[in-house]
Amino acid sequence: MREIRPHKPLHFLILGIALVYVAVLLLAPIVSIIQRALENGFEPVITSLSEPNVIHALQVTFLMTLGAVLLNTVFGIIIAWVLTRQRFRGRRILNILVDIPFVFSPVIAGYTLIVLFGRSGWLTPTTIPIVFALPGVMLAKTFVSLPFVTREVGPVLATLDTEPEQAAYTMGASQWTTFRRIVLPNIWPGIMYGVVLTLARALGEFGAVSVVGGGIEGKTETATMFVFRALNDRNDIGAYSMSLLLGVTAIIVLIVMRLLRRSVVREQAAYVNHSG
Amino acid sequence: MSIILDKVRKVYGSQTIVDDISLEIQTGELFVLLGASGSGKSTLLRLIAGLLPADGGQIALDGRNVTALPPQERNTGFVFQNYSLFRQMTTAQNIGFGLEIRKQSKTVRDKRVTELLKLIGLEGLGSRMPWQLSGGQQQRVALARALAYEPSVLLLDEPFGALDVKIRAQLRQNLLEIQRQLNVTTILVTHDQDEAFELADRIGIIEGGKLLEVGTPNALYRRPQTRFAATFLGAANLLPGQRNGTHVYVGDTSLTAPPDTEHLSNQPVEILVRPEEVELALQQDALQSQLVGHGVVQQVGFAGPLERVVVRLDDANFEPLQVLLSPEKVRSLSLARDSAVWVGLQDYHLLPRNGEAVNN
Repeated sequence: MREIRPHKPLHFLILGIALVYVAVLLLAPIVSIIQRALENGFEPVITSLSEPNVIHALQVTFLMTLGAVLLNTVFGIIIAWVLTRQRFRGRRILNILVDIPFVFSPVIAGYTLIVLFGRSGWLTPTTIPIVFALPGVMLAKTFVSLPFVTREVGPVLATLDTEPEQAAYTMGASQWTTFRRIVLPNIWPGIMYGVVLTLARALGEFGAVSVVGGGIEGKTETATMFVFRALNDRNDIGAYSMSLLLGVTAIIVLIVMRLLRRSVVREQAAYVNHSG
Repeated sequence: MSIILDKVRKVYGSQTIVDDISLEIQTGELFVLLGASGSGKSTLLRLIAGLLPADGGQIALDGRNVTALPPQERNTGFVFQNYSLFRQMTTAQNIGFGLEIRKQSKTVRDKRVTELLKLIGLEGLGSRMPWQLSGGQQQRVALARALAYEPSVLLLDEPFGALDVKIRAQLRQNLLEIQRQLNVTTILVTHDQDEAFELADRIGIIEGGKLLEVGTPNALYRRPQTRFAATFLGAANLLPGQRNGTHVYVGDTSLTAPPDTEHLSNQPVEILVRPEEVELALQQDALQSQLVGHGVVQQVGFAGPLERVVVRLDDANFEPLQVLLSPEKVRSLSLARDSAVWVGLQDYHLLPRNGEAVNN
C-alpha cells in the first residue's frame, strides 16, 4: 500500500488544500443554491417551477436532450465501430474530428450551426426551419455531446475478442444477429456510461443552444437559458429553483454514472479472472 | 470426398501465407494439419471456414463449391483455441445457438442440447455460465456447440493448446471417441506432434504456407520424403551417404539400400535413423543389425521410460548419434561415459541430401 494515514503537519496541510479547494469551488455553490432556493421553504420553488414558461422550458430541455441522446447513441456506436473495426483512409482524421466538441467553445459551435443551417447556409432546409427553432436546439445539444458514446464504446470494442463473433458466423448467424446477440451485450455497459455522460452534457448545454435556438421564451428556451434570463430579470427565486432542479438531476446522473462504472469494472474483472 | 482444396492461396502484402495448397480429405477422416507457429495452418483453417477470403484456388465441402460463400453458408463447425464461448449465455444457450439460428423449435433445441451435454460428459451443467466452467469443460462446450447443428466438417484450431498436459490427454481421447461416433470429417490444427500421432488418420505437414507432405502418422515418421518432415516429427539422426546400386555408402561401410529409394540412386543422400532404431553392442559380432561404425559414448541420461545415450562415431564427419535404449539394455552393456561401442542401424530411411524432395 502506498496510502498513509496523515500524521505529520505537511500531510494535514496537503489534505487541507485539497478539501478547501473542492469545498470552495464545488461544494459551496451547491450548498448556496440549495440554501437560497429553499430560504422560504418549498412552496415558492414549486410555484415558480409550475409557471407555463418554466414547464415549457423543461419540456424543451427534456425532449431535445432525449433526441440528442438517441442520435448520439446510434451514431456514436456506428462511429466507434468504424474506428475500431475498419481500416480506411482518413481513419485518424475521423478519430480527431470526433473530439472537436470537446475543444470547441459551444458558442462557436452554435455559430457554425447558424452558418451551416441559417439563411443561405449550405444545408438550409426549405421546409422546416432549424435555426431559432427546436431542431436547432436539438442539433446544438447533439453537437456538444457527440463524442461521449463513441469514446466510451470505442475502447470496449477495441479490446473485445472477435473470435466469438467469428464462431457465430460459422454457426450461420448473420452480421446483424451477431452484433445484436454477441457484441451488444458485451459493449452494453460502455454504451450506458456513454449515454449518461451524453445526457449530462446535453442537459446542461447553454452556449450553443442559446446561439442556435435564440432563447425565444415559450418556444426555444431551455432550462439553462431560463436560468440565464431569470437572473437578468432579477427573478431570483425562478433562477434558484431551476438551478436546484438541474443540480439535483446532475447529481443523480453522477450517482448513476458511478454505479455503472463500478459494474463495468466488476464485469471486466470477472472476465479477466475467468478467461484464459 | 468431404473436403477438396484446389490450389488454395492466401497472400498478405508481399507475403504468401498459404501457398497453393491442394488436398483431399475423405468423409469421416480426422486429418491433422501439423506445423510450427506462422506456418499458415490456422490461416488455411480460416480459409476453409470462410472467415478469411482466399486469394486463389477452390474450396469444396461435401461436393459443394463454397469458395465464394460467406462463413454463414458453409455449414462448418469451428472450435477456437480459446473456445470463444459466448460469455453472456449459459452453456445450454451456447450449444443451442446454431440451432436457434436455424430456427429450430425450443423442444428440438433442448433435446439436442441435452444429447450433446451427455456426449461431452457435462450432463446437468447446461445452466452454468462459461466462466463457471474449467478450461477443459469450456473446451468441450465449444466442441458441442460446433457439433450441435451437424456441420458438414469440423474444424479445430489448436483445441487443446490452452490446457495443461493431463487434461489435454484426456480430452484427446474424448475427441477421438466423439469424432468416431459421429463420423464427422475433421481437420485439426496443431503444432504438437504427439497430438498429431495420437489423433490423426493422416497428417499434413505445413511449413512456410506449403503443404510439404501428407501421410499416415506411421508413414510420415518412418518414411518421410523431406528433411523438414523427418526432423519435425520426432528426433532424427541424419548421416550423410551416397546411394549407389543396391547399397548406401556411409563413411567406410555400406548398408543395404531400403527398397523404396530407387529414385535416389547415384545421389548424395542422408540416412534417417530414429534414436530407437540405433543398436549398440560391445563386440562387432554381437550386433544384430547392419553395422555403421564404431564410436564412444559421450553421455548417458535419463529420459523417462528409456535412457538417452549419445554416441560420437569415430568418423568425424558425423554428428553425435542420439540413441534411445531400455534401461535394461544400458545395464547389460554397462554403458557409461567413454564406453567404446559398435553401432548398428535396425531401421533407416533415405532422404535426398540438401533436404529437397525429388520430383518424380
